[in-house]
Amino acid sequence: MSSPGVMTLRDVHKTYNGRGVPVEALRGVDLEIGAGSFTCLIGPSGHGKSTLLHLLGGLDRPTAGSVTVLGEQVGRMTDVELARFRATRVGFVFQFFNLLKGLTVAENVELAMMYAGTPVRQQKTRVHDLLEAVGLAEKRRARANELSGGQMQRVAIARALANNPDVLLLDEPTGNLDSASEAEVMAILDDLHAQGRTIVMVTHSSEIAARAERIVEVRDGRIAS
Amino acid sequence: MNDFKLVIRNLLGSRSRFALTLVGITLGITSLVVMMSLGTGLRAQIDKQAADLGANLVVTPKGWCAYEQVKVLSGSQLPDAIPAEELTAIESVEGISVLPYLTVGSAVDNEPVPVTGIRVAETAETKRWAVASGEAPAEDSRGILAGSAIADSFDLAPGDHLTLRGTEFVVTGVLEATGTGDDGVLFIPLAVAQEVYETDGRISFAAVQVEDITQVELYAQRIADAANVAVVSDRQLLASVLSVVNTVSTTLRIIAAVAVLTAAFGIINTMLMATFERRREIGIMKSIGSSNARIFRTFMAEAAAYGVIGGVVGLVVGSVASRLITPYIAQNEFTAFVGGARVQAVPPLGDMALILGGAVVVATLAGVYPAMRAARLTPVEAISYE
Ligand SMILES: Nc1ncnc2c1ncn2[C@@H]1O[C@H](COP(=O)(O)OP(=O)(O)OP(=O)(O)O)[C@@H](O)[C@H]1O
Ligand SMILES: [Mg+2]
Repeated sequence: MSSPGVMTLRDVHKTYNGRGVPVEALRGVDLEIGAGSFTCLIGPSGHGKSTLLHLLGGLDRPTAGSVTVLGEQVGRMTDVELARFRATRVGFVFQFFNLLKGLTVAENVELAMMYAGTPVRQQKTRVHDLLEAVGLAEKRRARANELSGGQMQRVAIARALANNPDVLLLDEPTGNLDSASEAEVMAILDDLHAQGRTIVMVTHSSEIAARAERIVEVRDGRIAS
Repeated sequence: MNDFKLVIRNLLGSRSRFALTLVGITLGITSLVVMMSLGTGLRAQIDKQAADLGANLVVTPKGWCAYEQVKVLSGSQLPDAIPAEELTAIESVEGISVLPYLTVGSAVDNEPVPVTGIRVAETAETKRWAVASGEAPAEDSRGILAGSAIADSFDLAPGDHLTLRGTEFVVTGVLEATGTGDDGVLFIPLAVAQEVYETDGRISFAAVQVEDITQVELYAQRIADAANVAVVSDRQLLASVLSVVNTVSTTLRIIAAVAVLTAAFGIINTMLMATFERRREIGIMKSIGSSNARIFRTFMAEAAAYGVIGGVVGLVVGSVASRLITPYIAQNEFTAFVGGARVQAVPPLGDMALILGGAVVVATLAGVYPAMRAARLTPVEAISYE
């Protein structure tokens, strides 16, 4: 099955049935994202950006419509298949609380490899390269909760790359950082983009959005532009 | 990183939670060990005591209940209730030898001590006593043959003087330890005891040995015909005593089971708290590729680890505790047996394995519900809230 983009969404709906009234977070999203592109999702708070990103990352299933990522139908996968998909096909970075606080920096990254089934010896050699790439090799034995916010995000990016996924999804990764840390993170992302990875990132900063190849605005659970 | 390391890290992630849960489990297992070893010690000691009674039949006053029969084995004070003429009648039965006992009490340094009147030479021979120091008193002398434990605790040595019932006695000998209730008793000649305690020739009970062991029932019948007394075989005696002890040790076990259940709820509580506190971590683990089943396994392994660690620590602490506690509990008729059983107060290896296995099973079961909750969380639920 050949799809024009790495990620294709067709009339995607997502309704949360929490306590109380159901919330229609996405109401018919159509979107195509090309291989190797750098896309920013922008839009007002609460309008469905994170929800959309979660569907792309296989963290949740659509209520209706189809989400195809790297040729796989997110909505049709079993729990085990989804877990495998999240482990190997995509890398995810959140705004907050990305790391397991009780583990060291290296262990946080290794954990992602463990879930992908990488043998321990290979984990050790690869974790070094990954941390080197985000400039944190010397911090590998530090506890995650001893790091600054910027360092944590860099570890989270290293972890997202642990299993060498084609797609990197980031939900406001710099939303919580000072400008120096933000610049570091953005430099890493520019590098990754240059290496040919597909990047989708949610941001509130128009400055950051300006660096992307494409800006997609999410409004009222739909694509506005 | 591997699953084992992850479990260890999770356990130690919150040290105070880990420590508190472990204390709960350890307490539960400890009390189980203490209760079980008391029960086991009790039974082992009664077996030994019965064997050392050196009797095929025990003659008691009519109408004694199991509680009083227990006292025969424990050497505590009994009502003096078989009159002299009945004893004579018993002794006239052919083919048996009779050892009469008169159990009375006295006080040394204001502490109650059991005193038993015996036919010294015959009893010593039947019970194969060894005298550690001094010698056994003559049958009509005011001499004391002291059990090893009581000699220890009152620092008695041959030549010491003791006053029993206002009468001066001399310690003539101290027995070697027998590991039975005899260790805690002062023995004096029967005739002297009857005189000093003014029992008018009465005795408390008599142990009977028969010549032909295959005819025990027949001798019992003959004794019952000859005298107005009750006769039980050592086996019946043992059975009725054991039935009393069984109730006691069943009670002990129930108490221990409650303790273990409490510990199990401690685990459930801890694990549920852990699931709640670690929602986000669970979400992260899932978002980087952990399946639901794997989260479930991780949490189950944590719960089981509590069982293993708590079980081992509990076994060790419990074994030490039961050794320390036993002497203090050995105060009433039933538990008095354990007093002599200093060596016994640790459960046998099989029981230990059972306890450890049980601890792991209970802990693992306690982990099921929290682990299911953890596994069911969707990554989005786990991450996006708060
Ligand atoms: N797990 C959930 N259960 C119920 N409702 C949810 C859940 N997650 C999001 N929502 C609701 O769905 C809507 C879209 O939320 P979403 O997080 O996608 O917005 P967003 O554009 O990412 O906002 P922000 O910029 O503040 O992060 C909101 O109304 C939100 O309250
Ligand atoms: Mg959001």
